[in-house]
Amino acid sequence: MNKIFKRNIGSLDEIFDFIAEFLTAYRINDQVSFQLKLIVEELFTNTIKYQPSSKKDISIGLEKADNRIIIRIVDSDVEPFDITRTAGVDVNKPLGEKRAGGLGIHLVKYLVDNIDYTYKDRQSTITLTKILEQKDV
Amino acid sequence: MFDIILRSKTEILLKGRLDASQAEKAKETFVKVAETCVVDFQDLEYISSAGMGILLMTQKRLSEKGNSLKFINVNKHIRDIFRYAGFDRIFEII
Repeated sequence: MNKIFKRNIGSLDEIFDFIAEFLTAYRINDQVSFQLKLIVEELFTNTIKYQPSSKKDISIGLEKADNRIIIRIVDSDVEPFDITRTAGVDVNKPLGEKRAGGLGIHLVKYLVDNIDYTYKDRQSTITLTKILEQKDV
Repeated sequence: MFDIILRSKTEILLKGRLDASQAEKAKETFVKVAETCVVDFQDLEYISSAGMGILLMTQKRLSEKGNSLKFINVNKHIRDIFRYAGFDRIFEII
């Protein structure tokens, strides 16, 4: 499944509907459903936040292949932003030193099994793979 | 659909889906909290980092005067995400 979304935070309702359609089609369990919503939201909002100059719509793809879910976000007319190279968040820091920034990407990295990033002709493509266990479907 | 209800000065109820598009609405209520407050997650289905950031900033502000947020009725999925984010070390999750 693939769908194009307007580049603004108001697209989130439509994105959640799109994810729900995918989850229903493949009977994914509640835990992975929650995680998939989080992964897609964090990447979408991250793109809007860090690529404000682009006016292009954003493509989100969801695919199930064997025991894997593949999530693909394609963002055009943007500068490179390789999330695989972003600094990690130290979740063990004491409260006084904690910052909210970077938490979303930290969670995405925690929840998926692989992240691939490519950049060509001012287009970023992030491909994430989440491996499902038997209990997840 | 997200809703936040300030039941009293020390009790907040969260409902629905707290995603990035609803974070500002949540923030408007949390900035009013000035003392130790119980946050009831009974009817909250989902939260992302935008909402978690508001909880974190509120906890930091309250802790300066010895107060805190305490979470009750947190579902398993949200509890897992809180653990991945290290929230179980800085919030009391009952």
